[in-house]
Amino acid sequence: MSTIVEHDQVFLIAQEVFASMIDGDPGLLQPWTGDLPEFEEPIVAWVDLSGDWAGRAELLTATATGHDLARALLAMEPDEVVTALDLVDAFGEVANVVGGNVKSLLPTQGKLGLPQVAPVAPVVPGAVVVQELRLAWRGMPLVVTVLGFVPADEEGTAGGDIR
Amino acid sequence: MRALVIDDSRTMRRIVAGILEGLGFETEGAEHGRAALDLLEGGLDVQLCCVDWNMPVMDGLEFVTEVRARRDWRHITMMMVTTEGEQGQIVRALAAGAHEYLIKPFTPDAVRGKLDLLGLLPIEELA
Repeated sequence: MSTIVEHDQVFLIAQEVFASMIDGDPGLLQPWTGDLPEFEEPIVAWVDLSGDWAGRAELLTATATGHDLARALLAMEPDEVVTALDLVDAFGEVANVVGGNVKSLLPTQGKLGLPQVAPVAPVVPGAVVVQELRLAWRGMPLVVTVLGFVPADEEGTAGGDIR
Repeated sequence: MRALVIDDSRTMRRIVAGILEGLGFETEGAEHGRAALDLLEGGLDVQLCCVDWNMPVMDGLEFVTEVRARRDWRHITMMMVTTEGEQGQIVRALAAGAHEYLIKPFTPDAVRGKLDLLGLLPIEELA
């Protein structure tokens, strides 16, 4: 079934973001194979999209992986301590760029919120998973999710699974 | 040449400034449009502003509009550097007075290409 944003489109966005901003090589972000392990100290970065189509682009990983992302983005030494501010800024910006590119795929004009980072993203009642990509960045698990916020009277029309 | 990088993300300011410095620019940073205006009003002279769109306090579109309203800042070239990739947004930014538009994510070569189009590459880079 066709959805508002296709799986392959989101994968290409994520790969381009990681290659351009972090790795210089698209091959370092790949689909995760096998069962996804439970995240140790999970951390989520997300941006909300509002407008005719409302939803969220969300990245979930382990805090240790978030620290590695921040070190790569901020050109820090491998053993340099990542502060909470570093983590929020760097991981949040990755979500911001992924979310902005997802927004550009939508058929309607919308507005992008500012990125947020927390151990858990706030739950939106009735939100549906439009796409969920289980990925491996440098071998470490990372999940990219696109959620649709469906008005209560239209639940079941976004082609996703209610969360 | 000097450039002002305006983005609420320190990460993105570092990435953009790093590319510009590699091309021979001196760089300054500001975390939103209002902070950037404060720097310019305080006498900072720049040839280029790289401007994010979505920022708290003052967004990039407002900043571009404010700069374009000032005759003494007409020499400043403004390049939007943003995730806002839809055609309608690009048209809005250019209509407000931005000279170029670069969509995140970007490569260093993409920045260099835009600066080349704008005639802002230092001589040694062109050689």
